[in-house]
Amino acid sequence: MIPLLSVRDLVTTFHTSDGPVQAVRGVSFDLSAGETLAIVGESGSGKSVTATSLMNMVRAPGRIESGSITFKGVDVLAKSRDELRQMRGAAMSMIFQDPVAALDPLMRIRDQLGEAIRAHSAISASAANARAIELMHQVGIPDPEARLRDYPLAFSGGMSQRVMIAMALANDPEVIIADEPTTALDVTVQAQILDVLDTLNRDRGTAVILITHNLGVVAQLCQRVAVMYGGKIVETGPTAEVFANPQHPYTRDLLAATPKLSQPRDVPLVAISGRPPTMREPIIGCSYAPRDPLAVARCFVEAPALEPGEGARRHACWVSDGTTSLPPRPELGLEIDQAPRAAAPRGAALLQVADLTKQFDGPRARAFGRRQQVRAVDGVTFDVHQGETLGLVGESGCGKSTIAKLVLGVESPTGGSIRYAGQDSTVLSAAARRRYNRNVQIVFQNPMSALNPRRTVGSMLSEPLALQGMRGQELRDRRDALLELVGMDASIANRFPHEFSGGQRQRLVIARALAVDPQLIVCDEAVAALDVSLQAQIINLLKELQTRLGLSYLFIGHDLATVRHIADRIMVMYLGQIVEQGTAEQVTGNPQHPYTVSLLSAVPDPDPSALSRQRVILQGEVPTPLNPPSGCRFHTRCPIGPTMRTDREICRTEKPTADPEAEHGVACHFAGEFTLVGSGSSAPISADVPHGLGPVRQTTRKTLQ
Amino acid sequence: MTAIPELSPARSRRLPSALRGTLADPGVFIATVIVIIFVSVGLLAPFLPLQSPYLQGGQAFAPPSAEHWLGTDEFGRDLFSRVLFGIRQDALVGVIAVPIGALMGILLGLASGLNRILDAVLQRILDVSLAFSSLVMGIVVAAIVGAGIEAVLITVALVNVPLFGRLTRSAVRSQQVRDYVTAARVTGAGPIRVLVRHVLPNAVDALIVQAALSLSIAVFIEGAMSFVGIGVRPPEPSLGSLLRSSSSFLAIAPLYAIAPMVILTALVLCFNVIGDGLNRRLLRR
Repeated sequence: MIPLLSVRDLVTTFHTSDGPVQAVRGVSFDLSAGETLAIVGESGSGKSVTATSLMNMVRAPGRIESGSITFKGVDVLAKSRDELRQMRGAAMSMIFQDPVAALDPLMRIRDQLGEAIRAHSAISASAANARAIELMHQVGIPDPEARLRDYPLAFSGGMSQRVMIAMALANDPEVIIADEPTTALDVTVQAQILDVLDTLNRDRGTAVILITHNLGVVAQLCQRVAVMYGGKIVETGPTAEVFANPQHPYTRDLLAATPKLSQPRDVPLVAISGRPPTMREPIIGCSYAPRDPLAVARCFVEAPALEPGEGARRHACWVSDGTTSLPPRPELGLEIDQAPRAAAPRGAALLQVADLTKQFDGPRARAFGRRQQVRAVDGVTFDVHQGETLGLVGESGCGKSTIAKLVLGVESPTGGSIRYAGQDSTVLSAAARRRYNRNVQIVFQNPMSALNPRRTVGSMLSEPLALQGMRGQELRDRRDALLELVGMDASIANRFPHEFSGGQRQRLVIARALAVDPQLIVCDEAVAALDVSLQAQIINLLKELQTRLGLSYLFIGHDLATVRHIADRIMVMYLGQIVEQGTAEQVTGNPQHPYTVSLLSAVPDPDPSALSRQRVILQGEVPTPLNPPSGCRFHTRCPIGPTMRTDREICRTEKPTADPEAEHGVACHFAGEFTLVGSGSSAPISADVPHGLGPVRQTTRKTLQ
Repeated sequence: MTAIPELSPARSRRLPSALRGTLADPGVFIATVIVIIFVSVGLLAPFLPLQSPYLQGGQAFAPPSAEHWLGTDEFGRDLFSRVLFGIRQDALVGVIAVPIGALMGILLGLASGLNRILDAVLQRILDVSLAFSSLVMGIVVAAIVGAGIEAVLITVALVNVPLFGRLTRSAVRSQQVRDYVTAARVTGAGPIRVLVRHVLPNAVDALIVQAALSLSIAVFIEGAMSFVGIGVRPPEPSLGSLLRSSSSFLAIAPLYAIAPMVILTALVLCFNVIGDGLNRRLLRR
């Protein structure tokens, strides 16, 4: 059978002013009609460039240097501009990462969809409208007739991505290329979008090429996977087989570095030392050899080709034989014992937050009217104890970053109190705040913007030390000690931030936070912007520093699987309120609040054994905090709430409260009714919910061929 | 998760290398050479072996000759010498007035970052001063201090205050929400330290671009004010005043008008080219 799409020895190079960047270095693969293929890799692996090359859309200074792309027997690279235009959108179409940026803000949805429809078929405006409604229906946009007249502004991120998918579908393409389609979305919305793509593939037979860095998403959607590293495919095969028995050390390490809900918390995350190749220099031998402790001499001199293994599998590795499983990555002695510490007696409460509230001025509803109030944080109570890590999890807009700013003291709360070491620290004068910040520091999400591009590493670290009165040799010694503490060499003091990779920059941010000898560090999505292999490094570093320096962390994140790995206790936030709090085991193993249950079930897991588990797909998105739902704020989306059961008016009228003193507190009138049976892996959901109705859909992953 | 930014890390953030990079653009290079020649010749005019620009008595409107490279004016003064001394006035305006105006503007812009009420007051003042066209400003200044080079200097400085003030303020506003500014604050840096050590260095790119454009404005304002008679007054030579006196004799002595006009145009153009080149290199990454 002739494959639908066939790529051979594709080489794409970017000719930048700083020299050539060889992004794709010889990629070959086939895609059959109706297949789902994932191209997975970290940033810089060449996966996105491969995707744009498929449609011959590589932009200058990039150029496809050699190789061939054959679509239904026709050479794509030999097509004229007009022929390419006819192919794009009609036979092959693409979905991008940021749906909000990909829609024209000044064009009604009707016109954008209409443009996509009429670009390839000469039909009337009313016929195009009808088709647009049909498409919107297909991708699950409620009330499409009314929404046609809306501008993209009126659509949330998830809805915008649905519009993008509708546009991509407009002309019944045979292939949809989705480039990180869910990366910018919340996990519950991600689950919805993956479901849409899955349905399309099943019902219409549209082939999907999914470009992603998230192994869990791959396992959820794709039958086949191609793992890219250093501009090449290093391993490919059926997803379940590859993930169960990886035959390339990179696949093995990537899997081991990914936090998984299906694994017990005490399985350590493997930190992959080193950094990916820069793609500027030629790579001699296997691109992964420098980071693989099991590499043999041949790996450094001769590049392995993609060899056939068992069945449909291929791998490019000298060490692997294609059938026996690779030995696990040996620990290099640097790695520390990652097992969660035995439940030591909790230290004294370091930070006590009670009934914390923060209101922001929203827009005015009408001229001269009063400003609406946005309650970003609404009555939050928690303690952080000496030496512990408190995880705070929630979707975007739930108020978790506002809590970070309040705890840091750079914003003042509207109500409630913050006590640090027994002292009231709620509203601080500038001088008192400076004293307070000697104890409370922050590590930001994005290490790019957290470092001043104009200052050297040395001067950045010296500033807080000099402000403490250190001078001369003492200052330099302390600065070098800080760099060493975060695993960096003291010789880098004269270099600028842009010379470092994301993971190294995050180490520098941590070093700066440590410069004032703090006791509590607020980690605001501290690993979210990093590649998986670097995430584990930073998590390990944070754990090591905690052990050595007795630090406490308030670890804020959106990914339950990651937070679960580092936190001793976890709080789950929804629309400014804590819905559930307890130990990490309690919250992730025995969740009691329906939101926590749904959140947990929406986290994609690469473990093949987790595929059989049932998932709850919450419908809709987080409501606006401008006008939060009455009573329980989750009731509009709740799988056991009043939209599902008419007798549950109490959820609309009465706000449930959790006992903040309880070890495991749940703010739900019907706590525990909707639970995951067992913990982690293969957990059916036990609640008698009608299937396929209302705000919840339960899906079981189709079995892989 | 696009591959390209990760693959090509930002170019060096060290300023000197960026400036050198700007000079690699042929247009900018030529413009810079022209400006350097003009400005150095202008500033060094008193020390060059030239005839006095004030010496009268020769033949009026003499054609170019070995003695008078550009001929003479209506009083028989050497035109070449007068043009060079004229450039000198413009160079002085650029070298003195632009930095003064820029400094005042930067200070006001930074002050805006300290306090919201101060910010509101300062911004309204800058709004008002921006509303005056530079020539109206020139007329007001000349009415107060009298026509002359001083009026030009003050006008150019005043015109530049809101330009630099606005630019600095917008840089302050955009930098203050950056994580590294928050980090500096929570590691103990006070507000002034944050402004000077963290905000200002990141605004330098935009300020340099504005400085190049301001030099062009300075030359232009000098020319305009002197041309309408409220700037440099005869017999003092300046590019503007030369244009003014030559305008009556366009038919008899076209070179009299063409020489200062070409130089004035060239200077304005060159500063603009340099400004654009810097803009491309420094700001649009």
